[in-house]
Amino acid sequence: MAELLRVHVDPEPIVLAARGLTVRAGRKLLLRNIDLSVRRGQVFGVIGPSGAGKSTLLKVFNRLVDLEAPPLRVEGEVELDGMPLYGSGVDPDELRRRVGTLFQQPVIFPKSIRANALFGVLHHEKMNRNHQEERLEESLRGAALWDEVKDRLDEPATTLSVGQQQRLCLARALAVRPEVLLMDEPTSSLDPRSTEAIEELILSLQDSHTIVLVTHDLGQARRVAGVVACICLRDGIGEVIETACCGDIFSNPRCAETREYLNRRAGQ
Amino acid sequence: MSRLLDRIFRVVTGACAFGACALFLGIAGTILVKGLPAIDWQFLLLGPGEQFGSGGILYQTLGTLILVATALAVSAPLAIGLSLIQTTYLDSVRAKRRLRLAIYTANGVPSILFGIFGLILFGQLLGWGKSWLAGGLVLGAMILPTLTVALVERIEALPTKYLAAAAAAGLNRSQIVRSVILPQTRGGLLAGALLGLARAAGETAPIMFTAAVFSGATLPSGIRESPIVALPYHIFVLAQDSFNPAAHSQMWGAAAVLLGLVVLLSLLALPARLRSAEEAHHG
Repeated sequence: MAELLRVHVDPEPIVLAARGLTVRAGRKLLLRNIDLSVRRGQVFGVIGPSGAGKSTLLKVFNRLVDLEAPPLRVEGEVELDGMPLYGSGVDPDELRRRVGTLFQQPVIFPKSIRANALFGVLHHEKMNRNHQEERLEESLRGAALWDEVKDRLDEPATTLSVGQQQRLCLARALAVRPEVLLMDEPTSSLDPRSTEAIEELILSLQDSHTIVLVTHDLGQARRVAGVVACICLRDGIGEVIETACCGDIFSNPRCAETREYLNRRAGQ
Repeated sequence: MSRLLDRIFRVVTGACAFGACALFLGIAGTILVKGLPAIDWQFLLLGPGEQFGSGGILYQTLGTLILVATALAVSAPLAIGLSLIQTTYLDSVRAKRRLRLAIYTANGVPSILFGIFGLILFGQLLGWGKSWLAGGLVLGAMILPTLTVALVERIEALPTKYLAAAAAAGLNRSQIVRSVILPQTRGGLLAGALLGLARAAGETAPIMFTAAVFSGATLPSGIRESPIVALPYHIFVLAQDSFNPAAHSQMWGAAAVLLGLVVLLSLLALPARLRSAEEAHHG
């Protein structure tokens, strides 16, 4: 009977993985020996003190580290769907199409709302006018912005509020149909209402995307993340101290550094 | 003590600024006072008279415009390419440093050397003799570093968030150049181009060996042995005949027109420069 009742659920496959990841800027070590696995459809939270290397970790996953001057050096294994990201023959531009990014501050180009939403996708796909309109609506709906802007798509995007601008940036990322979304403190410049809207979006996007979310807001990590990794500085170098299910890491952190960080944040 | 130093600093910088303005106003004022009486419609719209230093300066003005337009047509695409190589396409820090050094060094090369280079290359090796195209090409080479430096500085002032956002959307370098860098540095290109042209319009040395004659030329009809008359060289020749009052009057008139042309180009560049600086500041 027990055999019959046991339900076997296969875990979702790993989409993003880092093994023994080390990142250097010249001789300076920024991140050391990072091991992470992000599964499909997961919201993977990354918390930790400022300067610990959380944003650098995100830049490793979409190879924006290549654009740093001078470029950062990445050692170890980093994979997307089992494919090494830093292997020879990997096209970083194609990788960035598959791994979208939402930055801390909304980055709006001095163009219309329409042009901003379609900014990336028009460079990747040849589309006729109807197809463009469909994709525009799909991405703006995905970012919960369609109803607010559908009547003024050709107005400058700078006329939107900061919260709307951030959702427009999300629409721009969604229009390219990425598999993974990297979010670097996406609500740090937003008011509580816009923050709530973005958090709802993250939860709704979970069905179709894998999300890595860097956040300083522990409440946000609790609300949206399934798994959380805590990055702290050891000897001035960022290391993943602890990775666990969201409930476990907040209620029963195993490492002293995690406890100390959580207590410090709770006291603020 | 620090207040005293502050006052001294303010007085010295104020005096420097006043000196620079006074110098410019002195030169411009002298040229205008002596040149404006010579300027009328006939002076502006007629060709040269039969006697030395008589008639109008229509062909000299047109010649100057032809030279600067040629210079711009040659140097603008090259400057865009060079500035993009320097800022976007070169990955090696050492190579970037070397190219930057080369561009800044070229910016300081005396214009007479460009003239001699043009004489040897176009006049002697290619056998063009004096040619408007040779003059335009030499002026183009001369303003190329100025234009490139202006563009490089504008591109480097572009907020990196735009480049990062474009790269994060999966755009490759060429797409980033087309959709972010060029549209947002148009002001810098325009400002650099007009400032470069203002410099080119007033240069005598590069064209006296390669393109300009004092008289006997109207509009160019070919490339070989097709010289041109131009305002800077016209002024240069008239200035050497200091005992002829008619030539003197012509010289000051031509100088006032040339000054007007240069100031006009600089003023046209001003809004683009201000917008460019404001964009860089507010990013």
